[in-house]
Amino acid sequence: MNEPPPSNAPPAPRRGAPRIGGATPLVENVRVTAPDLRRRAALEQSRSRLLIAAAGFMVLFGAVVAKLASATIIFPMMPKLSAEVPVVPDPAAMAAADANPDAPMPGTLTAQHGPRAMITDRNGEILAISLPTSGLYANPKEMIDPADVAHKLKSALPRLDEQKVLARLTAAKQFVYLARQINPREQLAINALGIPGVYFQPSERRRYPQGRVASQVLGGVDVDNHGIAGVERFFDDRLRDDATPLRLSIDVRVQAVLRDELSKSMEEFTAIGGCGIVMDVRTGEVIAMVSLPDYDANKAAQATPEERFNRAVTGMYEPGSTFKLQTASMALDSGIANLWNEYDAANPIHIGRFTITDFEGKHRFLYLPEVLAYSSNLGAAHIAQSVGPERQRAWLSNMGMLERIGVELPETGRPIFPSVANWKEAANLTIGFGHGIAVSPLHVVRGTATLANGGVLLRPTLLAQDPGAPPRVGVRVMQQQTSDTIRKLMRLVVTDGYGKPADIPGYYVGGKTGTAEKVGGHGYKKHTNVSAFMSVFPMNAPHYAVYFMLDEPHGNKATGGYSTAGAVSAPAAGRVIAKIAPMLGLLPDIADMPQLTAALSVPMQPGHGYVSRWNGPLDFVPPSTPLASATAAVAATASSSPVPTLRQAKHGRGPEPVPASMPPQPVMRTPEQMRHEASLGTQVAAH
Amino acid sequence: MPALSRADTSTLGRWWWTIDRLTLLAIAILIGFGYVMMLAASPAVAERIHVSRDSFIFKQVFFLMAAAGVVIGTSLLSPKGVRRLALAGCVIALVLTAMTLVTGVEIKGARRWIALPGLSLQPSEFLKPCFAVVAAWLLAEGKRTRGFPGMAIAFGVYGVILMLLKSQPDIGMLAVVTAVFFAQLFVGGLNLFFVGVGVAMLGASGVGAYAFFPHVRSRVSRFLDPAVGDSYQVNTALEAFGNGGLLGRGPGEGRVKDILPDAHADFVFAVMGEEFGLVVCLLVLCIFAFIVMRGLLRLLAEHDEFVILASAGLVTSFGLQAFVNMASTLHLIPTKGMTLPFVSYGGSSVIAIALGMGMLLALTRRRHHGDVS
Repeated sequence: MNEPPPSNAPPAPRRGAPRIGGATPLVENVRVTAPDLRRRAALEQSRSRLLIAAAGFMVLFGAVVAKLASATIIFPMMPKLSAEVPVVPDPAAMAAADANPDAPMPGTLTAQHGPRAMITDRNGEILAISLPTSGLYANPKEMIDPADVAHKLKSALPRLDEQKVLARLTAAKQFVYLARQINPREQLAINALGIPGVYFQPSERRRYPQGRVASQVLGGVDVDNHGIAGVERFFDDRLRDDATPLRLSIDVRVQAVLRDELSKSMEEFTAIGGCGIVMDVRTGEVIAMVSLPDYDANKAAQATPEERFNRAVTGMYEPGSTFKLQTASMALDSGIANLWNEYDAANPIHIGRFTITDFEGKHRFLYLPEVLAYSSNLGAAHIAQSVGPERQRAWLSNMGMLERIGVELPETGRPIFPSVANWKEAANLTIGFGHGIAVSPLHVVRGTATLANGGVLLRPTLLAQDPGAPPRVGVRVMQQQTSDTIRKLMRLVVTDGYGKPADIPGYYVGGKTGTAEKVGGHGYKKHTNVSAFMSVFPMNAPHYAVYFMLDEPHGNKATGGYSTAGAVSAPAAGRVIAKIAPMLGLLPDIADMPQLTAALSVPMQPGHGYVSRWNGPLDFVPPSTPLASATAAVAATASSSPVPTLRQAKHGRGPEPVPASMPPQPVMRTPEQMRHEASLGTQVAAH
Repeated sequence: MPALSRADTSTLGRWWWTIDRLTLLAIAILIGFGYVMMLAASPAVAERIHVSRDSFIFKQVFFLMAAAGVVIGTSLLSPKGVRRLALAGCVIALVLTAMTLVTGVEIKGARRWIALPGLSLQPSEFLKPCFAVVAAWLLAEGKRTRGFPGMAIAFGVYGVILMLLKSQPDIGMLAVVTAVFFAQLFVGGLNLFFVGVGVAMLGASGVGAYAFFPHVRSRVSRFLDPAVGDSYQVNTALEAFGNGGLLGRGPGEGRVKDILPDAHADFVFAVMGEEFGLVVCLLVLCIFAFIVMRGLLRLLAEHDEFVILASAGLVTSFGLQAFVNMASTLHLIPTKGMTLPFVSYGGSSVIAIALGMGMLLALTRRRHHGDVS
């Protein structure tokens, strides 16, 4: 304090007050000093109050000191800055990656802040993966020598256009993109240039190494890495939240073969599109699902609607003759029909304004196996008539034909079918041979898989089942015995019917052709077909369903101008089976061929000239039937023993070898459970 | 330092030998910190709001130079000159504050600013020091001159200010003006009964503000319970302090400042904490405390009522503003947008503070007794 202590000097005179000085008599002085004393007392009070105020400030500032110490060193709150710290690759890790190019780039596939999860096929092949990349941007306001910067950047990133970069660097902006999706090596090189005002923006890029092979299944992502279609969209939250890879049931090798054959057939028959499905009939797992035309999943955003259209689940087609298997099954299962029943295929049916005829018909009565083998519309219509519309509808409903398919794709469509009021005689007959109803190819595959697997309906799934997981829960919708019969009938179609071109020795393919005329603006369009072949193999121990369909194929010289399923789809399905079976761990069983052939055979005309009421095992082949006379003895023995399975592939490439025995059958359910299941719709979770 | 002779009787010579040079030095150091913190904090903010990196810096360089000029220029005045300046300033500031209600620019829900070319002016900032001096004069003159209703006039002016600031609304500024006025009454020897009444009324009006002003309520409830609403700013500020620790991250190494809203203005203390650490923050705090303590204690030797009351008001205003800023940055009190004197960015605020400190220096210059009027 520079000031001297308060003196006793008299205070400053008040303006206008009478001067009081030393000349004033003492007695008066006492009187006039009273205000002075008051003022001195007031000053003293002010001083003590100033001290109180100073003490108050000491308290306030002391509190700040305490809190400051607490916030900085005693209980510091550390910031969470992960997103703000610039990401620069570690040079040591880069060097290691150079030394061993096959090793995964450190810190890339397992980045900490959750890249979108990988999608793999059932064998772990990568179908979709998020790779860390960076965007390169600059703030032109911070540029010192834009020309020099542009030149340096060009040297580190040759794909840049120096003039364009220069133009952007001199723009009157604060933020310009110079390059998107630069890889870590380029980023490191640019970072090493040390250019002020040039920055990196961490990002990730979704890559689909298989390109077109499973594009509609995978779908794709938008620029923000959000799923826009397919599995990417259906599992969008799962892929973002859970970093563990999503393992699909797809086998990318099978998928590639199927796509390849479909593509070749499309070209050969100048079809506008195609669809192929391979499904494990025991688990409901979709092994392959192809729809053509397709697109490169890496460029999903540029795909046309036609390319994005997934015929397998979105496309609703009249199933045509492939539905005759359902018609035969419902009749056999309910005991209305027997194999030796004959149906009038000689006279066209006139109902309302429709006339039902046969394509290249036999113009005679046909036994039930013949109806399927020759694909008789008239025969199927008569079988359906014997079942009736109510039971037909209930059967198809149980087969899941009247609801969305429930596979893990957002694009599943709703089947088209008559209302109960319109599901009368005419619909009953036409649906019997697969017209007047439209379902997706996957519906057909699911239904046929149920007919072949012993009668258990499974929800198709795109998720691979873990080897140790309990078997998937299905719903029993028909008797095992009916399924056994249908397997033989399916085999008969391939051995003796229109499905012949699909037969691959040793694989015991069974199936059914289906050619449906497409619906145009006014009724059916002549010569524009959907030609499908629905097959299952091996019929002695059904494992895989293969569906092959061409949309609007055109016959050529090789097929004699025919564009029917037997001419265009069945041969291709056979080629697919020949290629994919070894991949799936199945080798052709030639050694047991006589026994298996006998076990699977069924007479084309079971009652013809022999017995009218056959109650014995259906495997029995009457000796008079030329078809199986040579193996009749074997058949008799085979019927009492379990059906031999195919030999297992010893050296198959499949990483998931088929178990030596049949896998456990799907869990059976009571009708009550079935109804409950149906009420749940497609919400049943995959197991 | 310029060699000025003790015998130099020029205006500058006399100023140099009578001014409180330590306080002047403290102010100069604060202005220096203002420059440094502007370099540290404003580019991040400028970048975030997409203006040129340097725009804040250039403006603030100008403002701080002007502030230094205002401090020195004002401190050259005599006490009488200070009083006249304050009277004129108070009238002008009142008129301008009234104008903000009519023509003001609305920013974040309040009309406090008048748009001028190059800056927006907040006239109530100038009201603060000017009213402190005017109130001091009115109170002192009321005591000295019988029949002069000084206290009544002071309360009248205060009432007008209260109405204006409540309408803007600017409850924080109002609280500071009220606290300063109350401190002056207290130092002026207010009866302890009325002191008690005043404290009670301050408390009651605090509750009233909480009840009637939604933004006051939300800030207080956020302060009391961090789970309520958005305490992002305060949490980020505390993270900045935590990131800084004892010695700080080093100049330019702050990271939290990039995401801290208002880093260059109301939250500059957090940036200081992150880059320079506890030690420098304590140093700055000590400088503020020094100015306040020295200002108050020097008044113990003062005899003039007006000088005591005016200086006490100016010092209280300065000290409270520094405290409110630092305390709200540290989450010690509810968030109140108030600048850290000389350190925060802000044109009218720094000039107004410079005006106040200049007046304080002018009033506390050494002089002969009886030199006031």
